[in-house]
Amino acid sequence: MGQKLSGKDLLFSTLRHEQTDQVAWVPFAGVHAGSLKGYNARDILLNKEKLVESLLEVKKVYDPDGMPVLFDLQVEAEILGCKLLWADEAPPSVASHPLADKKEIPTIIPQPTDGRLPTIIDAMCSMKAEIGDSTALYGLVTGPFTLASHLRGTDIFLDSVDDPNFVKELVEYTKQIAIAISQYYIDAGMDVIAIVDPLISQISPRMFTKFFTEPFSEIFEFVKRAGAFSAFFVCGDATKNIRVMCETKPDCIAVDENINMGAAKAITDEFNITLGGNIPLTTCMLLGNQQDNMKYVVDLLDKVNHHNLIISPGCDMPYAIPIENTIAAVQAVREPDNTRKIVENYTKAEIDIPIILPDYKNLSKPLVEVFTLDPDTCAACTYMWRAAQKIKEIMGDKIDLRLYRITEIESVARVKKMGIEKIPAIYINGELKYSSIIPGQSEFLAEVEKYIR
Amino acid sequence: MSNLINEIHEGILDGNQNLVIEKVGQAIEEGISAEEILNAAMITAMAEAGTLFEEGEFFVPELLVAARAMQGGMELLKPLLVRDNVKSKGIVLAGTVKGDLHDIGKNLVCMMLEGSGFDIIDLGNDVDPETFVEAVQEKHVDIVAMSALLTTTMVNMKTTIDALAKAGLRDKVKVMVGGAPVSEEFATKIGADGYATDANQAVRLAQTLLE
Repeated sequence: MGQKLSGKDLLFSTLRHEQTDQVAWVPFAGVHAGSLKGYNARDILLNKEKLVESLLEVKKVYDPDGMPVLFDLQVEAEILGCKLLWADEAPPSVASHPLADKKEIPTIIPQPTDGRLPTIIDAMCSMKAEIGDSTALYGLVTGPFTLASHLRGTDIFLDSVDDPNFVKELVEYTKQIAIAISQYYIDAGMDVIAIVDPLISQISPRMFTKFFTEPFSEIFEFVKRAGAFSAFFVCGDATKNIRVMCETKPDCIAVDENINMGAAKAITDEFNITLGGNIPLTTCMLLGNQQDNMKYVVDLLDKVNHHNLIISPGCDMPYAIPIENTIAAVQAVREPDNTRKIVENYTKAEIDIPIILPDYKNLSKPLVEVFTLDPDTCAACTYMWRAAQKIKEIMGDKIDLRLYRITEIESVARVKKMGIEKIPAIYINGELKYSSIIPGQSEFLAEVEKYIR
Repeated sequence: MSNLINEIHEGILDGNQNLVIEKVGQAIEEGISAEEILNAAMITAMAEAGTLFEEGEFFVPELLVAARAMQGGMELLKPLLVRDNVKSKGIVLAGTVKGDLHDIGKNLVCMMLEGSGFDIIDLGNDVDPETFVEAVQEKHVDIVAMSALLTTTMVNMKTTIDALAKAGLRDKVKVMVGGAPVSEEFATKIGADGYATDANQAVRLAQTLLE
């Protein structure tokens, strides 16, 4: 038996197309990272300390094998003169297009000192120092088509028919920018450079070949030569473009829920390219519950072969995704067999299993109950359980402590009977105290003391 | 189908605006009624473009140039349709909701609806609920069509529906929604009358809603 791989090693093996025992997990926590620490989008997209603090929380709670440092496709556009409309719970949107009324090819290439790049590069260096040994870090670069559309506006679609040479020249320019930014991010320690180009889903394979095969191939070749892994992220229904995307030879392609992973994987497997995806962002992660997320991931793992596979959210995670939903997804990636059992238990527990709850109102001492998916495998559950154990150590016989894991059917029945919706959670005397967010020791202690008679 | 009608139809699918304008002009001179040109050439061509889009043969650029060619011909037809008192299929008030600047999807839907015989009032993007409400109050609107690309702005579809209800206008219009993060389930949850996954389905939905 060899030593257990670190998350970073696992992801590297996956991106080197080796056989692995585990499937790698890469949550795309962009502005969502801020939600874990109570920061809004602007806080973390503009402030290095808040960004790093949030990303370290992602590392702690979501236990990623790889993670992006920043998910914002407007960084380059802002430097090139696009005005941005900022939002609290989403990355900014481009509000003006400098080339909307003129067909000129700019010459300026952003420098590491321009716009928000110093903050981003600084954050990348800090993240590399903090967790770079165990976690692969992604630098996300705006793809050449999306950046061209930021500069020109939606007329770029008509230009592709009316004036293809202009589009080719503009894309040649945005390709150079992508290469320059990739270099800065590699210099800052990024292990994987992801070229993110959602607009690719809106064009035909024929148009892709005409305008984009060459620039994307060049970017990926550059990234690989510079010693990093390359990834091609697309959002939207790019089903028809998977093959032409493969022909540009990235190490990995990441897709969202619009794409059938089985069908896409059949193509990426032909090219020996790793495929990442595709937990649905809205229906499952944002609006679904823990069971929906566990079920989606285990079904996905059952459906596609595990070689060359990364499990990820479909794209940039919405800000307000409930933390416990992502925790459920991690659990399903890490422990698919256990998770299958949990999902089954939820179904079985529809049939009443008699559970007698403690007489919470008349307990002789406070009862702390910790509900977990499984404290041995789910990182957030482990922290929650440890926090409670610490309190028990301090309080000794003054309190009772109980652990439940919902891999056990009785626990599922208990969870249902108590109406618990989010796990991990800590209850004191039957009252919900902490859900998904791990409490600080002094805060937790003070809370328990309130219940001592 | 006459040659001219056929040429207009094909010209739209090829995205050849100049040809479409020329052939529509000729068709009018030859005495073909505006209504026939609209129904036999334009609407059928846009329906075919929509089907090709749905089937993955056409993508956004192909659909945009087809719609542009159609609009070129429509400019010639519009005064004649008014003169001949040809009724539109309905008036659609469209916009991308508050906080959202993404308008490709909304524009495609507008163009497809227009090419299918609807009249369009396009409020643009980042449209707040009050603007939707005022437009419904001021104009005779049959359908309110809302688009959103962001999970953070799609909630403003509900805000707009609520604002319409508060103004006592909800029963006077049908509401349809669409956009990448939106789903049938979400549409039902917020009290919309319908949801469409793409521009072609949006046309079918609009027709169904007004049946």
